[in-house]
Amino acid sequence: MKYRLFGALFILFFLAWRTLDGLVEGDWGRLEGGLSNLGVFFSESMWPPNWSVLEARSYPVCEQDIEFFCSVGYLGMMETLKIAFVSTVLGFVGAITLSSLAARNLMPLSIALPVRIFLSAVRSLPSLIWAILFVIVIGFGPLSGVLAMTFYTIGYLGKLQYEVFEGMANDPLEAGRAMGLSRPSILLNIVIPENSNHLLSQLMFMFEYNVRHGTVIGIVGAGGIGYYISTYLKFLQYDKVFALLIIIFVVVVVIDLLSLMIRSFVNEEGDVRKPTWLNTIIAAKKRRTE
Amino acid sequence: MSEGVVLSLNDLVIGYDEPLSEPISLEVKPGEIIAILGPSGIGKTTLIRTIAGLVRPLQGDFDLHVKRRGGLGYIPQRLGLVRHATVAHNVSLGARMNVPWSRTMFQERNERTQEAIRTLGIEEKAGEPVRRLSGGQQRRVATARTLAQRPELMLADEFLGELDQHNVDLVLGAVHELVEKGTAVIMVEHHEDNAKDFATRIWEIKNKRFSDMSIEEWELHSSAGEEE
Repeated sequence: MKYRLFGALFILFFLAWRTLDGLVEGDWGRLEGGLSNLGVFFSESMWPPNWSVLEARSYPVCEQDIEFFCSVGYLGMMETLKIAFVSTVLGFVGAITLSSLAARNLMPLSIALPVRIFLSAVRSLPSLIWAILFVIVIGFGPLSGVLAMTFYTIGYLGKLQYEVFEGMANDPLEAGRAMGLSRPSILLNIVIPENSNHLLSQLMFMFEYNVRHGTVIGIVGAGGIGYYISTYLKFLQYDKVFALLIIIFVVVVVIDLLSLMIRSFVNEEGDVRKPTWLNTIIAAKKRRTE
Repeated sequence: MSEGVVLSLNDLVIGYDEPLSEPISLEVKPGEIIAILGPSGIGKTTLIRTIAGLVRPLQGDFDLHVKRRGGLGYIPQRLGLVRHATVAHNVSLGARMNVPWSRTMFQERNERTQEAIRTLGIEEKAGEPVRRLSGGQQRRVATARTLAQRPELMLADEFLGELDQHNVDLVLGAVHELVEKGTAVIMVEHHEDNAKDFATRIWEIKNKRFSDMSIEEWELHSSAGEEE
């Protein structure tokens, strides 16, 4: 069994290698010196990160007592977080409504199939294209970002959710149906609580995803920290871009820890003991070293 | 439909692809307690699931003379509990049925939930997620859910498994309260002693033959079988 698995992995790796070779048309010379180029670019343009992004902007004049609250890093990250928060919440509500209609164990095929096709259509446009569309329709700014992220969240989360619903044990649904609970009641009182661990995990993942992609959609003018990144890129200020990327990384790690903490209240792991902030951080460190 | 009947089976043949029984025709009246006996894999669960409306009959049909919403209580073999929700939430699912709309509706639901939890002796666990409970405690939660529902017909599939004698008595006592209010009970049971002590009728499925007997008839039938 072990040899078969290794054999299958080897064949897959070989196929991937041959495909890549075909894609680059056998011209591997481009990779020569790539690593040293990266080293030069990093040491000369990005390092050290320019932490002036955490100082108050020169304009508009800062009216806060603490300068940090007027900095590009703080304002951009807060706007990205706000866009991500609103679009994740709106998208989650939309996705849960649609995914309950798309799940085969909750709805007949005649309803589930059209909803699945709709979700696929929404999902087939990447968040960047949604952002460009909304920037064209309603102009630059965070509202375009919110709408773009919301639509993408609905498409993406919708699929994850209906797959989770379809994988749940059938007996609670059967008990609810036999008792005569209505479909909305079954969704609210059986399906959602039973899948709360997965739903919370997906919700936190989507929030993290939206924070990371907030940087991308910001580049097309849909607001957030991405707007500042795109500006610094235009002016070749890579050290400031690097500082902003570090800020995004720290925020993503914090969201991951938050997710670990929140999910522990609904999964079996949390039955043993409730985690403190300290042991949450220790657990995250342990996972990384394993 | 006959007067005072909660369920009538009309030449009902159960099964998935192959028939598991000969055609069954009979009626169940309020307050009756029926135990379904027979070897494993013979079709007892399929019969219960067919009556619950979860499996289509291969032939014939059945009439449920109960309310469409809340008239039927069902405890599946795997109990059908929401594992990540609390005991109180699970029991309240039953309590939300059969309570008419009124100003005091929510209060009444809450009272029913608390009463069922107390009756089954799980009040200390009311705020705990069901997944943390032992198998026996989970069976008491499933019974409490049906008790709070107060259905006209209760279907239970091996709901006394994993319970010690004290808890079997507790659960059967609770179900008896329902029966006294007119609920009919159909239960799949493996322990013949439980069936004999509690049921008023026995349905036996053996080699696709279906027999509907009173307790006395079944005892005679069993002792005759043993002598053979």
